Amino acid sequence: MAVSELAHGTKAGVSARNGNVDAVRLSVLALVAALALLPLLAGGFLLYSLSLCFANALAVLSVSMLVRYGGEVSIGHSFFVALGAYAVAIVEHRLGLSIAVSLPLAVLLGAGSGFVFAFPSRRLSGIYLAVATMALALALPEILIGFEKFTGGFEGLYIAQDLIPGVSKALQRYYVALVVLVVVCLALAHFRKSAQGLALLMAQAQPRAAEAMGITRSWARVSIFTLSAALASLAGAMTGFASSTVSPNSFTFFSGVFLLVGSVVSLNRLSLPAALVGGAFITLVPTYLAKAGDWVPILYGVALVVVTLAANAGDLRRFLPRWRGR
Amino acid sequence: MSVAGFIRDILPLLWSGIISGCLYGVGALGLVMVFKSSRVVNFSHGNLACLGAFVVYGFSSGSLLSLSWGSAVALALGIACAVAVASYALIAPIVFKSDLASTIATLGVGLVLQGAVQLVFGADIVNLDLPVPRFGFSLGAVRISSYDLAVLAVTIAIVAGLFVIIERTKLGVAFRAVSTNPFACEVCGLNLRSVHLFSWLAGAVLGLVAALLIVPTTFLSSTTVPSFMLQAFTAAVVGGFSSLPGAAVGGILVGIAMNLFSFYVSPEFMNTFLLGVILLTLNFFPNGLLERAIGGRV
Repeated sequence: MAVSELAHGTKAGVSARNGNVDAVRLSVLALVAALALLPLLAGGFLLYSLSLCFANALAVLSVSMLVRYGGEVSIGHSFFVALGAYAVAIVEHRLGLSIAVSLPLAVLLGAGSGFVFAFPSRRLSGIYLAVATMALALALPEILIGFEKFTGGFEGLYIAQDLIPGVSKALQRYYVALVVLVVVCLALAHFRKSAQGLALLMAQAQPRAAEAMGITRSWARVSIFTLSAALASLAGAMTGFASSTVSPNSFTFFSGVFLLVGSVVSLNRLSLPAALVGGAFITLVPTYLAKAGDWVPILYGVALVVVTLAANAGDLRRFLPRWRGR
Repeated sequence: MSVAGFIRDILPLLWSGIISGCLYGVGALGLVMVFKSSRVVNFSHGNLACLGAFVVYGFSSGSLLSLSWGSAVALALGIACAVAVASYALIAPIVFKSDLASTIATLGVGLVLQGAVQLVFGADIVNLDLPVPRFGFSLGAVRISSYDLAVLAVTIAIVAGLFVIIERTKLGVAFRAVSTNPFACEVCGLNLRSVHLFSWLAGAVLGLVAALLIVPTTFLSSTTVPSFMLQAFTAAVVGGFSSLPGAAVGGILVGIAMNLFSFYVSPEFMNTFLLGVILLTLNFFPNGLLERAIGGRV
């Protein structure tokens, strides 16, 4: 039952409630089962890159969540991802504790910093938030390098401790990331139907009506950003755990932009398949196109423009002569 | 710290802050013009300026061609304008529908331009100087160089030119009208597209000029100019994002504040400092520092 709710995250699941909703549910269930059984067949590098895909899918979900519920763009979510990843690394380095302790800490830190960051622009249009997130993305590398004492500077830190003793490293990374991703997707599907989720959607779609019911726009803005930053931080903790290392190389200005690319490519949807598509797009493309390094930004840029235009295609028809007058 | 020492330090800091601030202001003017007319935050601003600066370098240094500096700049202006028109054409279908989608699309354009620069010019760090005669003189504690004077002259010329266009020409009236009430303009039969195009072209030119003038103080690489645009964004936010004088004054304030911060606190956390400036401005002066002083007028 629980897994079948994953389908509700997709629009198809909602609109086809009477029709082929079972097919959608079943296919998502089959996807999860296939991913759960995959380590029996494959190993090594594929499992490693898939674990990173899952972690990045979580980060993509955090950006999509902000777009969906808040109507805001962020290109600085790499900051919160880095916060989560470094929280795990630093807790292990300084206190010798595993991710079991640092994961909740990472989520709390993400929520706290998300709140502090979103609060100043609570009354302003999303444009200002987008500009502020650009500053956040550009400030991140110099913070990571500047606080060398804690972050290990250019070299970064290693994450070595296991979560589940006795299980091989590769399987552990893979399954922990997969389980967290599935749980988050379930939680998002539940959130969509919860009173809080509906309140946030209402504040975005009908600000005045929402205000009349006591839901102010600024409250909605700050709370969705806080939630989204907490999710990004969770994703960061998983990224750190899945790759066993954190370093400033993985958190440049462009990693924040790439998260937005992943979110746009998955059409900002909050379902498991969409998140996987977004996560895979930003993880696998740079890995497999490593030789064509400079083409990656071009490919991402084109994808961003094309998907954005296509997603607003309703408006494009007006520009084609044959659609005139219909 | 003695008072005399403080004064000896502060005057040159203020002066160089004003000079670099002028450039941040020029960069910010381009952003604000685009935002005022089409309600889009142009995230490709920095990447386009970077491309333009690299074109000047490529055509004047001999790495592609060895033209004179002037003709290389003319060529770069042409290319920047063409790219600006192309990127506006790309987002034209959605520009009225969604600010958010158009803003995301400009990010995509920026990524493409960034990739193009890296493909053609590589990740090298190069120098690109201004062809001005080198001289300098001291005025009290402040040392004034020919570069400073060139920056001041160009900034004043640009601001004056922009002022004349916006206050005195038909195009300027249309621009002011569109930024005040696009719907009424459409009802009156004004072509919004041509006004948008004007502001996008102006933005491209302003960005290129700012990039060419800022590069001599550091160096040119595929990342310096786009991150320099953070200063321009900060200047625009400090000025209120929809006020042209605000952008210019905001640029100078940001330039001075950055100089003081890097001298007295730390030069390594400039972007973090700008992030702080943006957040504090948004919290305490959501419509810009100059809102009361000059209002929202162009």
